[in-house]
Amino acid sequence: MIKPEEITWVKPPTFGLMDQIYLPAIISGLGTTLGHFAKTVFGGPQAKVTQYFPEERPELPANYRGVHRLNRDEEGRVKCVACYMCSTACPAHCIDIVAAPSPWPDREKYPEVFVIDELRCIYCGMCEQACPVDAIELTSLFDLTGLSREEMIFNKEKLLSVFDQTVAMGKDPVRTKAGRLSVASEPAGDGLTDSSSVQS
Amino acid sequence: MATVYINDKAVDIGDKRLNLVQVAELAGVTIPHYCYHPALSVVASCRMCLVELGEKTPDGSVQMQPRVVPACQTPAKDGAVVQTATSKSKTAQGQTLEALLLNHPLDCPVCDKAGECKLQDYSYQFGFAESRMVDEKNTPPNKPDLGPNINLFTDRCIMCSRCVRFTREISGTSELHIVNRGTHSEIDVFPGDPLNNKLATNVVDLCPVGALASKDFLYSHRVWNLKTVDSVCPGCSTGCSIHIDANKDVVYRLRPRENPLAQGYFMCDDGRLGYHYANSKNRLSAPKIRSGQEWKETGWKEIVSGIDNDLRAVAAVNPKGVLGVLSPFLTVEEGFLLAQYLKSLSKDARLALGPIPVTGEDDNYPKTRNGQPAKVQFTIRQEKCPNRKGIEAILQHFEGKIVHLRDSLQGEKAEAVFLTGGYPPSTQSWLEPNLAKGISKTPLIINQDLFENAVAGQSKYLLPAAAFAEKEGTFVNHAGLAQGIKRICSGPRKGRTDGQVYLDLLGRKGLLHAFSLHKEIASAVPCFAPLLTMGPQGVNLEKGS
Amino acid sequence: MVVEFSLIVTLATIIVLMACLNGLVAYLTLFERKISAYVQDRVGPNRAFFGIVQPIADGIKFLLKEDVIPAHVDKFFYLLAPAIALGTAFLAIAVVPFGSTLPPPALVDHRPGSTTFGKMVFPSVTLELEEVLQADRKFSQDSKTPSYEEKLKKYNATFQCVVSPGVDIGFVFVFAVGSLAVYGIILGGWSSNNKYSLLGSLRSSAQLISYEIPMGLSVLGVAVAAGSLNMERIIHHQVENGWNFIFQPLAMILFATAIFAECNRLPFDLPEAEQELVGGYHTEYSAMKFALFFLGEYTHMITTSFLIVTLFFGGWHLPFLTSPDQTGLFAILIKVGITCGKMLAFIFFYMMIRWTILRFRFDQLMNLAWKVMLPLSLLSFLALAGLTHFRPLGNLTPWVMPPISLGLLLGAGLLGLILPKSPTRSHVPNLGHGSGGIGPVCQTNQARLEKVEF
Repeated sequence: MIKPEEITWVKPPTFGLMDQIYLPAIISGLGTTLGHFAKTVFGGPQAKVTQYFPEERPELPANYRGVHRLNRDEEGRVKCVACYMCSTACPAHCIDIVAAPSPWPDREKYPEVFVIDELRCIYCGMCEQACPVDAIELTSLFDLTGLSREEMIFNKEKLLSVFDQTVAMGKDPVRTKAGRLSVASEPAGDGLTDSSSVQS
Repeated sequence: MATVYINDKAVDIGDKRLNLVQVAELAGVTIPHYCYHPALSVVASCRMCLVELGEKTPDGSVQMQPRVVPACQTPAKDGAVVQTATSKSKTAQGQTLEALLLNHPLDCPVCDKAGECKLQDYSYQFGFAESRMVDEKNTPPNKPDLGPNINLFTDRCIMCSRCVRFTREISGTSELHIVNRGTHSEIDVFPGDPLNNKLATNVVDLCPVGALASKDFLYSHRVWNLKTVDSVCPGCSTGCSIHIDANKDVVYRLRPRENPLAQGYFMCDDGRLGYHYANSKNRLSAPKIRSGQEWKETGWKEIVSGIDNDLRAVAAVNPKGVLGVLSPFLTVEEGFLLAQYLKSLSKDARLALGPIPVTGEDDNYPKTRNGQPAKVQFTIRQEKCPNRKGIEAILQHFEGKIVHLRDSLQGEKAEAVFLTGGYPPSTQSWLEPNLAKGISKTPLIINQDLFENAVAGQSKYLLPAAAFAEKEGTFVNHAGLAQGIKRICSGPRKGRTDGQVYLDLLGRKGLLHAFSLHKEIASAVPCFAPLLTMGPQGVNLEKGS
Repeated sequence: MVVEFSLIVTLATIIVLMACLNGLVAYLTLFERKISAYVQDRVGPNRAFFGIVQPIADGIKFLLKEDVIPAHVDKFFYLLAPAIALGTAFLAIAVVPFGSTLPPPALVDHRPGSTTFGKMVFPSVTLELEEVLQADRKFSQDSKTPSYEEKLKKYNATFQCVVSPGVDIGFVFVFAVGSLAVYGIILGGWSSNNKYSLLGSLRSSAQLISYEIPMGLSVLGVAVAAGSLNMERIIHHQVENGWNFIFQPLAMILFATAIFAECNRLPFDLPEAEQELVGGYHTEYSAMKFALFFLGEYTHMITTSFLIVTLFFGGWHLPFLTSPDQTGLFAILIKVGITCGKMLAFIFFYMMIRWTILRFRFDQLMNLAWKVMLPLSLLSFLALAGLTHFRPLGNLTPWVMPPISLGLLLGAGLLGLILPKSPTRSHVPNLGHGSGGIGPVCQTNQARLEKVEF
């Protein structure tokens, strides 16, 4: 909520004679456009902002939101616990999960099926934020193409392979060390640091 | 006359015997509680309902007690003053919650209760944001073999003992116990005595946290994705009020709905787990016509006009040869429409009541372990159909008497049979061999059922019926209580609800809206007059209004 | 039998002109994209031989793409619309000179005692024509000047860079046929059975009809100065007396503005405002039918550019370089080059303006046409008509017009400052240009805004 004293009222610019006639404004505007035109035509390559895409790869910021991946834990298993938080948070309804009791003794639930429709996704990153175990992350892979719609529906294996690929490239390191569902769901002794950090 | 003051609001409770939680409910104030349940005895073990209590003295001054009291265990008396929102009460509630959460694993992401969990709700409303627990939490092992249908996540339990009291007081089977002491208390069963009574899964609903989980629903869906409608269990003639939870045309679970007029608070496992046939892939999915040995799928337009023409042809020659079999799985509205249609062909068209599936005997609860009789609180009935009474009333009106299919087959020879089904596969052989034999002799069989039945091969028309989650209407239970069922799934894509087919046969325009037929039914069949006043809890047709 | 008509020459001219036009349109798209890119510091199309083959690729694509005809359209008019749009655009260019021209000789009445003595006549009766011709022959013998018939012979023998030379109604024909283009747009939008298309075409009809008035009025002055509507004569007049834009700058500005609107170019591209109307009237068109609309629009641009060059910038004339007497092949080529160069310069101006000025709102557009351009063009024409009639400064009279134009312009600006704003804009809080306050201003905000004095 903006407080009234924080509002600065700005008067709209009023028209002077030169603005009313239009022509001087148009001429000064033409000066700008012609200036850019001349700069681009005669200014050499550094004057142009165009990137020659397939040959030149863009430098993407670290928080770029590209293709999803499903992270693996230390043992190489899928980190996801099938809590449906991502699919619940997803505004495009592009995540489909089928949960099942996990085959591993230290975990209760895991995703039997985890499908993301990359065409339906709007790459907002809400799934990443919603994930309580940092299992889903958006990578910096951006040039995603496919020849059919089916090809663009990524299943669990494909999403895990994106993890393998991006981690091997070194471009997208696993961003957080979190991954514990809670202190109690971890082996004994590990929880102490976590709860004490909450206290401090 | 007794007046109780809840947060300075006066509530007149008359001479009812209520506790403070109930009185606060009347005042519109929620006192948080875990262990208290209106159907169970009060133990005040969770301490969540601590409130400040005082008394209004005759001179008008208020004398507050120095300590907080558990509201569930404190009977309301005249002049009692309850403060639920004072800092004392709030601190007490927050601290109780903190204590309950000491050993709770907080694994909400993988917990099936998340979304309808009282621990979550109250933590959000009354709890502290941070835990001060520095010690290691207890992580007792899970007990997946607590019962055939029930899983125990031991570490999530907050020891409210609702489940233990349920097995002792409602089912009477007393399988569950609390073992160990203090923070190491656990719910458990004796070896060789699993939690397998027919009401067992009610403990999952009773559990305010995610400790007890239904194996049927385990990990199958998150509750916030489910859509819920009020309905009636079609499993037996008790007609338990239920919630159907479904999503994307798949029924995921049934839950009992509190209804003092019907069954109370609970439902049996047979009914609760007996919904799977509605999701079955083997159901009839599209209307078919048979010519010779060839089956042909056609549109409903041809089907309806075909049935109408065929039946009219038979009725013109031999009116008594037209036999309509009204299944006790039809709703009152469907039965009414079908009877109306068949009678519109000819006044002499015959109607009969479909077979009533019966299994064993009425199963009364609580059971007693020592053989002493107890007051019956819950009954699973032997009659495994939801609407015998309703269909009988329809037959009584149109036919003047209740004729069973068996008898009408022995009577005059039928030329055309309109056979309605809707029986779940648990009553697989609902059409007994001799009945099937009797029907299959008929040249024209119009067969409407969920699954292929005994005379499917001899039928001319094979129509898919709608399951209970796919139609709306009214069921009348064993005691004459009429309750509404509502639609939540759309059923087979090429299917059409039974009532809609009858409406089309009658040549009436539009889509079926069962509840707006009540006026018509009530004026035609006087005993259904109370339907007009039917509320969410239903209305008893026999006791009258 | 005033101007001779040679079928072969005309057909050849048409074929060459059409071919050049189509090629030019194709490359204008590249031109446009390149200029857009440069203005935005980009490179523009740079694949396929630095973009040179790009228009050809585009053309092939237009031809080969699936030709979708939506089920809900009115098929006959839907198919007719692009044809009308392109047909009228091509028709309009028929009388526009694109290179070397001579003025068709004037038949002057030398009959003694005639009411029109010494003036140009257009006899409609053969008998009268004979009389006039006779008088003309006599006069030429007397004055030792070439007679009308000799001049006509010479004129017919010279190649004129116009499809149909010597059309006396001249630019009125261009306006008449050019304004038929609105039928293409309206039919396209209406038959598409799509609300965006319909909105686009309705806007377009209102816009085109409104802007035709100031456009016509602004060039009336040119016709009065030249004494003819015939465009070859207008060029000749400029060759002799100097280019019109020097003497009638205000008319030139008004005319240029009006043709921007007539061509649906920014800042007046409301019929196809992508941000508001998807694609406007051609939303439902695809493949070659869309290309036909496209072709029509660019042809319109070329026509109007030729027109403004002819009317205000001397056509093929460049001082000290060209003169009417040069009629050799090389001279013709030079003149065609000069005309096309001027035309391309104006198209470049078109494209630069596109990236300079924002699109007008519809009410602004209408205000500009009816409240500004129409009175200005009327006043300008009145001034010119008065000057031409009274000639207060004798031969220096044309030089009076530029200061009058400037005065009118400044006067209009001053009036704009003094006059109150239109009621629709004054009671709604105005938050600056463009955001005219029509958007949802919530009640409290509006109340707050009203307290602030603008």
